[in-house]
Amino acid sequence: MEENCRRSGLHARLDNPPAGDGILSRMTGGHEPTLDQLAGDAAVVRLYRQVFAVLARESGAMIADVDLLDVDEAILDAFADAGRDGLTVEQAVAACRPFDPQLVGRRFEVLREYGAISKVVDRPNERFHRAAFAPYVMLLFLRRMAERGGQAELHQLLTLEHVNVQATDATAAVGRTSVNRLTRIFRHLGNELAILAAGSTAEQLGEHAQLLWGNKSLITQAEEVHAVVLDRWPELDGECATLRIALAAYGDAVESAAGRLIEQAGTTRALGLLPVESWLSFARGSSTESLAAVLDGFVFDAPAPWFSPHQLTEAVEDGRHTGPVRQPPPRPESATAEPDPQPVPADDREQLHDLAERLLADARSVTVTGVLDGTDDWMAGRRMLADLTAIHHHPDLPYALAWSDGLRVDDAGSPSWVSAGTFTRVSEDEDEDER
Amino acid sequence: MSDDDALWWAKVRSGGPQRVTPDSAYPAGMTRLVEPDARAVWLLPDLPDNARPDVLEELGLSGFPVDQRGDTARVLASCLRCCWSEPSGPIWPGTSASLDDVAASFRAITDTRDDRARHAALLGAVRRLAASGWVGFDEEQRTVRLGPRVAAWNAAELSTLRELWRSMP
Repeated sequence: MEENCRRSGLHARLDNPPAGDGILSRMTGGHEPTLDQLAGDAAVVRLYRQVFAVLARESGAMIADVDLLDVDEAILDAFADAGRDGLTVEQAVAACRPFDPQLVGRRFEVLREYGAISKVVDRPNERFHRAAFAPYVMLLFLRRMAERGGQAELHQLLTLEHVNVQATDATAAVGRTSVNRLTRIFRHLGNELAILAAGSTAEQLGEHAQLLWGNKSLITQAEEVHAVVLDRWPELDGECATLRIALAAYGDAVESAAGRLIEQAGTTRALGLLPVESWLSFARGSSTESLAAVLDGFVFDAPAPWFSPHQLTEAVEDGRHTGPVRQPPPRPESATAEPDPQPVPADDREQLHDLAERLLADARSVTVTGVLDGTDDWMAGRRMLADLTAIHHHPDLPYALAWSDGLRVDDAGSPSWVSAGTFTRVSEDEDEDER
Repeated sequence: MSDDDALWWAKVRSGGPQRVTPDSAYPAGMTRLVEPDARAVWLLPDLPDNARPDVLEELGLSGFPVDQRGDTARVLASCLRCCWSEPSGPIWPGTSASLDDVAASFRAITDTRDDRARHAALLGAVRRLAASGWVGFDEEQRTVRLGPRVAAWNAAELSTLRELWRSMP
């Protein structure tokens, strides 16, 4: 492609950009784009403008809108379809019908002015025109660059330069031109990126990230060309030094721009330099090796457990004392035990009440002697005495145990002596109620 | 520190003690531990006293978590008891011992467990220790020997371990 362009002379003109910066003062027919239009098509137009600026300066027309390029393309398409007879202006306008005829006519003039369209036979009243193929090729080339950022084209260009300077019949002049061209390319790249990195937001920088991608191989390729040139024509060391400086500047710009992006990505965890689908397809479509290669150069800390002798001693001591560690068997959720009821103090009120009623047996009071006589031995008697005392002290039971001075002594009996005492019902009413 | 040394330290840090051939380069600050058969050399970092892993303990920080830390420590103690044949001498390289011996020693310090549970605990602990370089475990021969990491214990710690060694059945 470059070959074609170069042959047509367009490329050569591009190699010599205008010295001044006031590129254009006149717009095409006063067609002034609004800011909104420009913003939408800025990405496309930027590249077109850069390349067409030279042409536009000479022809007095400037591409200010992406639509104008569509018109150009439509005109050239019409010429391609027209065959060997060529087209008149009217025919071309008719073929580009969807576009404004005036606009088409204007662009036609522009194209004719810079030689993309010329008269079939160069005579004053010739109406038929033919189109050169080189501008069309260049248009396609530009279109692709606008879509893909021009990175691939840059690689191709570098490869071509490499081939050029390696050719056996290449002269020092070829080498010088090559090196100068590369210097300029990388200066442009570096300047654009440095300005972006210094002054724009991270989002803007992300949009221009294609300038960052593949820069390593770009620089490497350029360095190869540089090495060949320096090797073959040592007298070009001045130019080579300039190229080296341009490469280094570009590398620095890439570093600072990438640094800003990474800083941004680091704070937001945004891996948004690539669309999500790209990450996914990489993850799905890669071999184990290439996936593993992502972590090449990373060292993971793998701390190992540490056992101090103190811990060992402690563990051994513990092991001697602890019993087997048994895991309780798993139980279904529903079978969990009911929580224990609130503990209530034991109360033997009922038993004591029954005992008292049995002892009294409808009587108002009984003597302790009588009660103890009813027991079998001293143990039973002692329990009976304890029960009687408990009944006496129970706050809810209406019985009382009263001791008096008498003492019965019986040598042969089981309790050999018994103090006189009576066990009495205190409250008749309550007792009646309970019964 | 040269780049080469730094690389060695990174390797040790990410992969534990490094096993190299005896004639390989010898980075600064590493202890060389020659294997009993002299076929290989372990490189163990020589850490200053205030940078050793037990500093974590002194600072009250939790160290690297180990599954069943108690059992693992007991199995390591059993391995020490079986493999450190000369407790008066250096701990490395020690001798190799059969897994059964280690199991017997382990049983002696954990007496109330049933055999299956104890065996599972023993095997799990030995594998864990082998993975982190504390012991070497030959699964086919069922033999156990000490790993290069035991050489990281300093003299004071070794004397504590000698006490432990004597106290163990």
